[in-house]
Amino acid sequence: MSIVSQLATILLNGLQQGAIYVLVAIGLSIILGTLKFVNFAHGALYLIGTYLGLLITLTIRVSDGKLAEWGFGQVGLGWGFLPALIIVPIIVFGVGLLMERFVARPFYDRPDTDQILLTFGLAIVVQEAFKILFGGQSYNFARPARTSLGPLELQLSGPISLPVVGTIGIWRLYVIAITAVLVALVYLLIEYTDFGLVVRAGTRDAEMVRLLGVKITRPYLMVFGVGAALAGIAGVVGGTLYAVNPNIGMDVLVPSFLVVVIGGVGSIRGAVVGGILIGLTLSSLVAVAPQWSQVGIYVLAAIILLTRPQGLLGSEEVAP
Amino acid sequence: MNDETAEQPTGDGGSVVESGRVSMWERVGDSERSVVALTAIVVAIFPWLFVRAPVISDLLQGYQSLASLILIWGIFALGFNLLLGYTGLLSFGHAAFWGGAAYAAGIFSASVSGSPILMVLFGTLFAVLLAWILGFVSLRRGGIYFSILTLAFGQMAYYLALSPLQGLTNGENGFTDVTVGNLFGFLDAFAAFESIPLNTPVPLLGDWLYIFVGAITVLCVAAVVRILHSPYGLVFKAIRENEQRASFVGLNVWRYKLMAFILSGAFAGVAGSLFVVHGSYVPVESLYWTTSGEIVIMTVLGGVGSMVGPMVGAGVYLYVENVVSANSAIQPYWHLILGLVFVAVIALFPEGIWGIVGRLRDMISTPSPDTEQEGDN
Repeated sequence: MSIVSQLATILLNGLQQGAIYVLVAIGLSIILGTLKFVNFAHGALYLIGTYLGLLITLTIRVSDGKLAEWGFGQVGLGWGFLPALIIVPIIVFGVGLLMERFVARPFYDRPDTDQILLTFGLAIVVQEAFKILFGGQSYNFARPARTSLGPLELQLSGPISLPVVGTIGIWRLYVIAITAVLVALVYLLIEYTDFGLVVRAGTRDAEMVRLLGVKITRPYLMVFGVGAALAGIAGVVGGTLYAVNPNIGMDVLVPSFLVVVIGGVGSIRGAVVGGILIGLTLSSLVAVAPQWSQVGIYVLAAIILLTRPQGLLGSEEVAP
Repeated sequence: MNDETAEQPTGDGGSVVESGRVSMWERVGDSERSVVALTAIVVAIFPWLFVRAPVISDLLQGYQSLASLILIWGIFALGFNLLLGYTGLLSFGHAAFWGGAAYAAGIFSASVSGSPILMVLFGTLFAVLLAWILGFVSLRRGGIYFSILTLAFGQMAYYLALSPLQGLTNGENGFTDVTVGNLFGFLDAFAAFESIPLNTPVPLLGDWLYIFVGAITVLCVAAVVRILHSPYGLVFKAIRENEQRASFVGLNVWRYKLMAFILSGAFAGVAGSLFVVHGSYVPVESLYWTTSGEIVIMTVLGGVGSMVGPMVGAGVYLYVENVVSANSAIQPYWHLILGLVFVAVIALFPEGIWGIVGRLRDMISTPSPDTEQEGDN
C-alpha cells in the first residue's frame, strides 16, 4: 500500500467516524445554543434510534433479557435498511417533541444543574429499560448486502475500488454521504428559512426575540425535534458500524459533547469542524498508536480549551 | 448544619422565621465541636446497631463490611457535596479522583509499602494533583460546560488506565496486586499495635478496618465543618448564590472554584484510597463514568442542601443496592427503579431525603401557624 492510499484510508475512516459524532453533536449544539438546555439524554435518543433501526431492518434473536422471558425470542420487522432510515428519524422526532414538551419545558426556569441531573436520570432510565428488555449483550446490526425501496435498489456493503484509495467498504462512503446531505439540509434550514432566522436570533438573545413579539414556543419544539431526529439517524447509521448494546448511548454522548466544545456551541459549521477533527484524530491514532486513540481526542479537546475556550468557531458572547 | 437545611431550600421568608426561633437542634448544629462529637458518636454506634444489635440488626440484615463501605462512600459524598451543594458546581468526573486515588494507593501498596495510613496519604496526594490539573482545564468554561468537561476528562482517565497505562494498571482486569499491611506497621511509636491486621475483631465496633475508616470519617467531617465555617468557605456559598456578585465584590471567583474542586477531589481521594484498603482490589470501573454518576445520585438523593444529607444518601443507596435488592425479585430492575426515583426526586423534591426529614421535623416541632408558610415552598 502506498503512502498516499494509506493517508486516504485514514482520511476516509476519520470522516466516517466523525460523521456519527457530527450528527449527534449538531442536535446537542443547536439545542444547547437555542434553548440553553443541556441534554444528557441525547445519547439515549441515539440509543433508541439504534435499537429501532435494528428492529426495523432485521429480525433478531433475543436470548437474554425480559423479552426472551416473555416469549418474544424473535423480534423485529425485517423490512430492510432504507425503511429504517426513513421511519426511525420520524419516530425519534416524535420522541424529541414529547421530551421538549414534558421534560425540557418545565425545567427551562430551573438551574442548569437541575436540567443536567434530570436528563442524566432519564438517560439512565432509558439505558436500563433497554438493558432489561434486550439484555446487556451486544447485537450485530448486519446490513443486508442489498436493499430495495420500490424501484430503488442499492448495494449497501461489499468492497468498492476507488482510484487513489484502493479498495474500501462502500458503506463508509454511504455514511459520509448521508451525513453530508443531512448536515446540508439542516444548514439550509437554519440559515435560509424564517424558522432558522428565529432560531438564530434565539441563540443570540432569546429574551429579545420574545420581547419583539415572536412566539418561540413552536420553534423551540421544532429545534428539539430536529436535534432528536438527527440523533436517531445517527443511531441507525452508527449502529451498523459498532456493536449494539445499551451502553452505546453514553459512549457516543461524551465524544459528541467534546465536538460541541471544540467546535463552539450553536454553530453547525463548528460541529462539522469539531466532528471531523475528532474523527481524524481517532483514525490517525488508530493507525499510528492504537492504544492512545481514545485518549487522543481528550488531549485535543484540552489543548483547544486552553487556547480558545469558546471553541474554534464559537463566539465570545455565547460563552458564559 | 441544621441551619443549612433550612436556608437553602426554603426562601427568604422561611429562613427568617427559622433563625428567629432558636431551637435545641440549631444550638447543637451551630457549634463545630458538637458536630464533630455527634459524628463520632454516630460512627461509634452505627456498626453495633447495623450488625450486632439484637432486633434491629436482624431486621436490617446489615453486615460489617457494608458498614465500612457506607462510611467510605459517605466521605466521598461529603466531599462531592462541598462542590455541588456549597459551591454550586456539578462535576461528572469525580470517578477520576476516586479511581485515580484507588490506583495510586493500590500501586503504592504493591511497590512501596502496604501500610494503610501511607496508602491513604499517597492516594489522596495523587487525587489532589489530578484535581488540580483537571480543574484547571475544566474550569476554563463555567456553568454547564463544566459538567460536560469534567465528564469528558473523567472518561479520559478511564481510557488512560484501560489501555496506554496497561502495564501499570493491569488494564480491564483491574489492579489485583494490592497488598494491605498491618495498621501501624511503619510506626515505631505504635510498636505494641504493629502486628494488628485490619480484620482483627473488636467487640463493639467490629474490626480495626472500621475503626480506621471511622476515625478518618470523623476527621473528614471535622475538616468540612471547619472549611464551611471559615471565611473561605463562606466565599464558596457566595459563589453558589451569585457568581457575578461575588466577582464584583472583588473575589477571584475562578481561584475559589478551583480550590473547591481540589478540596472535593481530595476527599474523593481519601475515600478512593480507603476503598482499596477495604477491598484490596481496584476495578477499572472505579474510573468509569458510572462511578461519577453514582456519587451524583447519592448526593442528590440524600439532599445537597446539608452536610448530613449526602452521607445519608450514600448509606441508603448502598443499603438498598446490597441488602434490599440483592436477594429479591427487584434485582434486575434495581437500576431502572433507581433512575426513576432519581428523576422523581429532581422534579418533585429537589432537597432530597434529608430535606424531607428536616421538613417533617419542623412540622412536628412547631405546630404554629407559620408551618403552612414553610410548607408552601
